[in-house]
Amino acid sequence: MPEPTDIRSGLVCVGLNYKTTPVEVRERLAFPEAQVPAAVEQVRGLPGFEESVVLSTCNRVELYATHALPSGKDGHAALRQYLIERFELQPEHAEALVLYNLDSAEAARHLFRVVSGLDSMVLGETEIFGQVKAAYKVALDTGTTSRALNKLFQQAFTVGKKVRNETTIQRGSTSVGSVAVDLAEKVHDLKECRVMLVGAGEMSRTCAQSLLSRGAKSIIVSNRSYDKAVELATEMKGRAMKFDEWEHALHEVDVIISSTSAPHFVIKPEQIDQVMRKRRWEPLLIIDIAVPRDVDPAVNNIEGVYLYDIDALQAIADEGRRERIRQLASCERIIEEQLEKYGFLKPGGGGDLKLA
Amino acid sequence: MPPSQQLLLAATLIFVGALVQALLALKAGAWKQARAQFVLMALGFALQTGFIYLRGEEVRQCPIRSLPDILVFIAWSIVLLYFLVGPAFRLSLLGVFTSPLVTLMQVMAFMNGFAPYKPKGPINALVELHIALALISYAAFALACITGVMYLVQERMLKRHQIGGLFYQLPPIQGLAHAIQRLVRLGLLLLSIALGISFALHLPMTKTGHVIFAWIVWGLYAVISLLMWKHFTSPRKTAWLAVIGFILPFISLWIVTHA
Repeated sequence: MPEPTDIRSGLVCVGLNYKTTPVEVRERLAFPEAQVPAAVEQVRGLPGFEESVVLSTCNRVELYATHALPSGKDGHAALRQYLIERFELQPEHAEALVLYNLDSAEAARHLFRVVSGLDSMVLGETEIFGQVKAAYKVALDTGTTSRALNKLFQQAFTVGKKVRNETTIQRGSTSVGSVAVDLAEKVHDLKECRVMLVGAGEMSRTCAQSLLSRGAKSIIVSNRSYDKAVELATEMKGRAMKFDEWEHALHEVDVIISSTSAPHFVIKPEQIDQVMRKRRWEPLLIIDIAVPRDVDPAVNNIEGVYLYDIDALQAIADEGRRERIRQLASCERIIEEQLEKYGFLKPGGGGDLKLA
Repeated sequence: MPPSQQLLLAATLIFVGALVQALLALKAGAWKQARAQFVLMALGFALQTGFIYLRGEEVRQCPIRSLPDILVFIAWSIVLLYFLVGPAFRLSLLGVFTSPLVTLMQVMAFMNGFAPYKPKGPINALVELHIALALISYAAFALACITGVMYLVQERMLKRHQIGGLFYQLPPIQGLAHAIQRLVRLGLLLLSIALGISFALHLPMTKTGHVIFAWIVWGLYAVISLLMWKHFTSPRKTAWLAVIGFILPFISLWIVTHA
């Protein structure tokens, strides 16, 4: 019976991501979800390979494998060739293909960073944790993992949780949409939250989608072009409203997202004062994305009204990004400690991601 | 120092520890699910309970007949309600805001000293229940005051766009506003029962100062509750009323026990 591969020497990772490869190439090399089980079997079936996991998301395609080949370089070459053949790349595309080739500690470090969200486009995002878990589960269910990769991925999930629990890398909002959600959550119970879009600009659509994806109860769309309002309302499973009617429905909503192209204020203190009386002082969040602004800043002086314009939202998102960058060193330290703990590094050892 | 007071001292130190731990965690941005806070509060509560038991043995009745004992009993009730209300109303950080008040009350109790006293006559269970319910109602008003402070902090951060560490940990202001209303109603209900018992006891209102003050407190919170119920005031003003309103029961305790 052959000896199992030592994860510290027989582990390889070959991949590409949003930093190395433009989207038009990434989309050609992405594995459709239904084809991942076949892919992991194909990788494991390559000569000298023992285990495999394929991670394919919109931002990255990575092959993790263990092998018993003479060197890591042989493993990298085999996986590169597999990708070229699997996606039938023309010679010029194959030659231009930029992949990172990692082995042993470098590969483990990379996986730990990926799981922790440190290698993501939005630093610290947590969706990747679920995506790696799903990729591992496919490989596990297909039977292409064994002792080495099972152990590595379990360690990676432990590291990911540790990074999340011991730092604030995932805290704070980094986009205008997520700031809107955070604010709405601190004013209302989102599940009971009713949203109104006044104007149907792209940014307000993004904010509304973020709120709906987090459980907002309902949405009303009002726009000068009623057809556009109907189109957006249909897309968001909401209700369209004619532009001369939106004022009458203001007291029924908890969040107003305004983005009209009006050259003057369309939401004024006297209107909102009346609305607040009708609402019996239930809090109202107003997000003004328009430039020039739609909402008179004096509205923020009314009790129970919380007004945020685009600059305020952007400032919060910028601070969120800065806070995450401040946390980066602590996250990297945790990962290095865990690499040492799991025997990938000698104390003080290391290695960097290399591009082929 | 008698064993009862040793327990109370330990409880006070633990509440201080809970506050320091929470503040350090918040400052470092490492505040998570408040597990450590919950454990420390539970330990402090167990020690408070131990104090009340031993003190009851010392004075041979429910230890609620002197100002220091009353302060400790209310502090104990506040922590008890914190355990009941905090998770039910999803009031994250309630413990952080509760521990300073509890610490303050216990420090004031120590400053007054725990003088010995004995029952003036046979113990009447209805009298004990009347006093205990009134004091627990004061604890509910204290918790409404604490929740009011949390509301005002969160409201200020939302108004001034100060979106930082504490902002992410505090509950939504709508939830805080509802919690204040429920706590005021709970306190009012308990105080109503306590005052109802005073009728059964035929306590003459004019000759018992604490009953008069209890009625004044009841009147104040009945007005606050009515204002909340009919939405005559904004939640912000309601929060201020809950915060400032607690000054009256707090002062009344002092006056009644020193009269």
